Amino acid sequence: MSAAPPDTPVPGLLPTATGAQVRAVLGELVRPHRRLALAAFAVLGAATGIGLLTAPALGRIVDIVADHRSPDAITPVIVLLVVVAVAQGAATAAGLSLTARLGETVLARLRERFVERALHLPLDQVERAGTGDLAARVTGDVSLIAEAVRRALPELVRSCLAIVLTLTALALLDWRFLPAALCALPVQISTARWYVRRATPLYVRQRVETGVQQQRLLDSIGGAPTVRAFRLEDDHTARVGRASASVVDLTLRGVKLVLRFYNRLHVAEFVGLTAVLAAGFLLVRGGSVSIGTATAAALYFHNLFAPMNTVLVLLDDAQAAAAGLARLVGVAAGPEPDTTARPAPATADLTARAVEHAYLPGRPVLHAVDLDLRPGERVALVGASGAGKTTLAKIVAGVHPPTGGAVLLGGAPLADLGPGTVRRAVALVTQEVHVFAGPLADDLRLARPDAADDDLRAALDRVGALEWADALPGGLATVVGEGGHRLTGAQAQQLALARLVLAGPAVAVLDEATAEAGSAGARALERSAAAAVDGRTALIVAHRLPQAATADRVVVMDGGRVVESGTHDELRAAGGRYAALWAAWSGNRDQN
Amino acid sequence: MSDAGSGDRVIEGPTGPRVLRDAVRTQWRDVTASAVLASGHQVGETLVPVLIGLAVDRALAPGDGRALLLWLAVLALVYFMLSWSFRLGAMAGERAGARAAHRLRMALVERVLDPRGGAEDGRLPGALATIATEDARRVGAVNVALFAGIAALVGIAVAAVVLLRISLPLGLLVLLGTPALLAAGHLLSKPLERRSHAEQERAARASAVAVDLVGGLRVLKGIGAEPAAVARYRATSGASLAATLRAARAEAAQNGTVLALTGVFIAVVALIGGRLAAAGDIGLGELVTAVGLALLLLGPLQVLSWVTTELAQARASAARIAAVLAAPAAVPAGTAAPPHPVHGRLRLTGVTSGPLDGVDLDVAPGELLGVVAAPADAAALLRCLARQADPDSGTVELDGVALSALDPGEVRRAILVAPHDADLFEGTLLDNVTAAVPTDARTNARTDPGKALLAAAADDIAADAPVGEHGRALSGGQRQRAALARALAADSPVLVLHDPTTAVDAVTEARIADGLRALRDGRTTLVVTTSPALLAATDRVVLLEGGRLTDTAAHTDLVHRNDAYRTAVLA
Repeated sequence: MSAAPPDTPVPGLLPTATGAQVRAVLGELVRPHRRLALAAFAVLGAATGIGLLTAPALGRIVDIVADHRSPDAITPVIVLLVVVAVAQGAATAAGLSLTARLGETVLARLRERFVERALHLPLDQVERAGTGDLAARVTGDVSLIAEAVRRALPELVRSCLAIVLTLTALALLDWRFLPAALCALPVQISTARWYVRRATPLYVRQRVETGVQQQRLLDSIGGAPTVRAFRLEDDHTARVGRASASVVDLTLRGVKLVLRFYNRLHVAEFVGLTAVLAAGFLLVRGGSVSIGTATAAALYFHNLFAPMNTVLVLLDDAQAAAAGLARLVGVAAGPEPDTTARPAPATADLTARAVEHAYLPGRPVLHAVDLDLRPGERVALVGASGAGKTTLAKIVAGVHPPTGGAVLLGGAPLADLGPGTVRRAVALVTQEVHVFAGPLADDLRLARPDAADDDLRAALDRVGALEWADALPGGLATVVGEGGHRLTGAQAQQLALARLVLAGPAVAVLDEATAEAGSAGARALERSAAAAVDGRTALIVAHRLPQAATADRVVVMDGGRVVESGTHDELRAAGGRYAALWAAWSGNRDQN
Repeated sequence: MSDAGSGDRVIEGPTGPRVLRDAVRTQWRDVTASAVLASGHQVGETLVPVLIGLAVDRALAPGDGRALLLWLAVLALVYFMLSWSFRLGAMAGERAGARAAHRLRMALVERVLDPRGGAEDGRLPGALATIATEDARRVGAVNVALFAGIAALVGIAVAAVVLLRISLPLGLLVLLGTPALLAAGHLLSKPLERRSHAEQERAARASAVAVDLVGGLRVLKGIGAEPAAVARYRATSGASLAATLRAARAEAAQNGTVLALTGVFIAVVALIGGRLAAAGDIGLGELVTAVGLALLLLGPLQVLSWVTTELAQARASAARIAAVLAAPAAVPAGTAAPPHPVHGRLRLTGVTSGPLDGVDLDVAPGELLGVVAAPADAAALLRCLARQADPDSGTVELDGVALSALDPGEVRRAILVAPHDADLFEGTLLDNVTAAVPTDARTNARTDPGKALLAAAADDIAADAPVGEHGRALSGGQRQRAALARALAADSPVLVLHDPTTAVDAVTEARIADGLRALRDGRTTLVVTTSPALLAATDRVVLLEGGRLTDTAAHTDLVHRNDAYRTAVLA
């Protein structure tokens, strides 16, 4: 379709960690589990060591046959082989279980830390990057790393142990086998270098494209009702299709690279095997080793292929996991949430001093705004769409730092109070309604985790929501949100106000909190909002003028500036912008 | 209409096993190529120990240098072949996997966006996205597992043939012992499959909770609920970890057991082979080959055990995908021919649906009708008009054709019900507004996006700037006006707007009322609202109370004569 919206690039993605940051965070997460790590390593090492007894045991059988000894001489060797098999199985099971416990526990701590830091990211940063990126990291990257932890980590440990122990065993047979075996090493090292150089940028792109795909999926699936209403099904399917095709393309390019890598590893295998056979030939002809020993050496080397390739191939998984890890740690290494207890502001008065703001440099949306809210005062913010009301509300609530000027709470700049203190003192309820998936009571307890059921009911009652909440199929235990009982827009707004009541801040900023319902619903929501902010210092962004009329004071904004301020009656009498707005509003109502 | 409404809501969707089969069937060329080539590679890998045995027997034992050179040359040839067949075969297999996953992803998106709806009921968008990415990938990976598994079986078969040529009892031992080992491995993986299913469900739950919390980030930040949300996620993540560890322990036990069984099996091969060699029935080189092959069998056998796990996971994933693809539709499809051209006469006869209780309503073509209703009544009415649901009884007709007899997509081609909480999509404002314009109407003056933006008073928003995820780069008022402009630009024969100006100031609202009236002139338009500014611009207003139509007249008349109306609209 020619009108298909062009694919916009994902702007300003979230940070990706450096290698040093990744190591630091991992070290920090593993440290509490050092003993578990040691145990896992030791047990897997034992399992590998036991397994190495197989080849010499088989070589021993060859020697028994070559020496024409009695067939019964084989029996004890076979018994040894059976014991080795059982012991190796048992040790491997234990080792894998320990490794899984270590890896999974560290991964769980990492994803928890990721979510913690993600939820504490500055909002403007998340808005630039889009929540799809965060969602992609917490689903795709976590699952990628989980896969690596579950498959690659134990394999890597086992293979590394196998290589070291096999080379040792090879040297013990005759030290001259070792240089022969190491003939393959230069090829392997250069191949690994060649590969990593090409793979790293490819995986980074792959992760980015996967993030785009995730965002497109969430966009289209989350907006399915709108997509259907406007018959945009084909458009959106095509959009997701383009993102998915791009991921497929990059995946296959990665596969091609891996396969060229294997090609080179085969060369290394051939070189090494030829060298070991030639060494065996010379040593046997020289009489310094038996045919059985030469056979064991060739078998050892042949058995090295698997762990050697595993390690080199796990570079691949390690690359992918490292890219995912860097994206997780990029957020998880963010500053620790500021939980230092600072004294709460003494008074609930809020002041904006010459606040300026520009989302884009050179395009200011607020110009030198001054605003004073006395403790307990309810101020309505009025103005045409785009006048800067929402921006001012966010800045005053401390969600966005202003690009100029300062906001003071109880006389102290918000920046000095720290986010925790500001948030306990100032709450912001926006038109953004999100009902958290799960029981209604759990949703409310996000605002105050220790609230008793009676507290929840009281909060719902205060905002006029208790009646419908009690009427839900399971009352407060009803599962709401996505996948649960769907609340109406007005109910969701009342829920937001009930959360505000439970959070109990001294200052409340309400932005279009009544915009979700028709005017009948809006009046009910206005009553809810009034009840919710009762006794608090409140700044209310009002679209409906009756809400302004009942406020203590009205502040009128236009073009990013405060143009009028006063009580409803004062401003009506003043004959300025507010008076004109009121005339337009009441004119519609005065038609009877 | 109950008789038509009881029709078939079943969506033709595949079962889980069918999803798996189709993932392979649609890629059969690549799968076949990869299986053949990978088998070639496996044969090569199997020949390597045979060649080692031959080299020991013919060159090392007699000390023959020329024989050594000969066998090393053969080794080089075998390496060349196995290396290239692996490269080409694996490429084909991976391509099949990636393409099958892509196909499934697209099928899932198409099903979720299907006009008949129903797929997203009871599923979080995050969970659906995970199914479309992770589960689709896992099912696609069946193609990779398949070629690897086939190659492993071929490798085992070649080894068996070589062994049979060396000695009948040895060959039989491998031929019979390998399937027995496989069966034991499969038996062991059964409980694993069940656990894996539970584990994946739990993991999906943890990621769904994370996506939900991240989605509500702004709300959490507004009330400082980040610590509480973090605590909640920790609890979910902890439960997920416990489930994962249980599954991991089971898997470790399975791996250990398979390893032990394999080792015992090799010991038995060595016992029989060793005794045969000691008795002189087979040569020394043949014993080396036999033992080498028995060791090599570890590889293919481990591949088979990996394949079993992969298939177990893919089956669980395929079941989840099938559940979405076959989710029952919210409304059945219809087969009647849609009216053409659409005049836009709407007739509701005795419509009963949810709170609606026998609504009769006639809307003339080209009429601009205001509808004042309680939120629940309005929602039910809009659902019926958009055919998101069919009325329990009664009919909604467009130009004399019952909507329930029409395909939901056809209904929406004629009637656009613009949701109050409409989402804006990634892209610029202009992208969003023009996306809804039907292709055949691009030249129509009415669908000029500039005019729609002007009528919706959205001309102050930068049309070429990205609106951000869900339009969050715009303010609430801007978002609502942008959504209105999009609805107007679609130039639908029948347009139903729901509270289109709740986040718009009074001055702008009056401007929108005029623009709406001018732009929709001659086209049927319903505005469900209680805004006096909009209602004053309509031809006629109907009042719904308690699910019934109680009054209809011009806005000014109703304001004068109907107390209930005055209460609903003016306050």
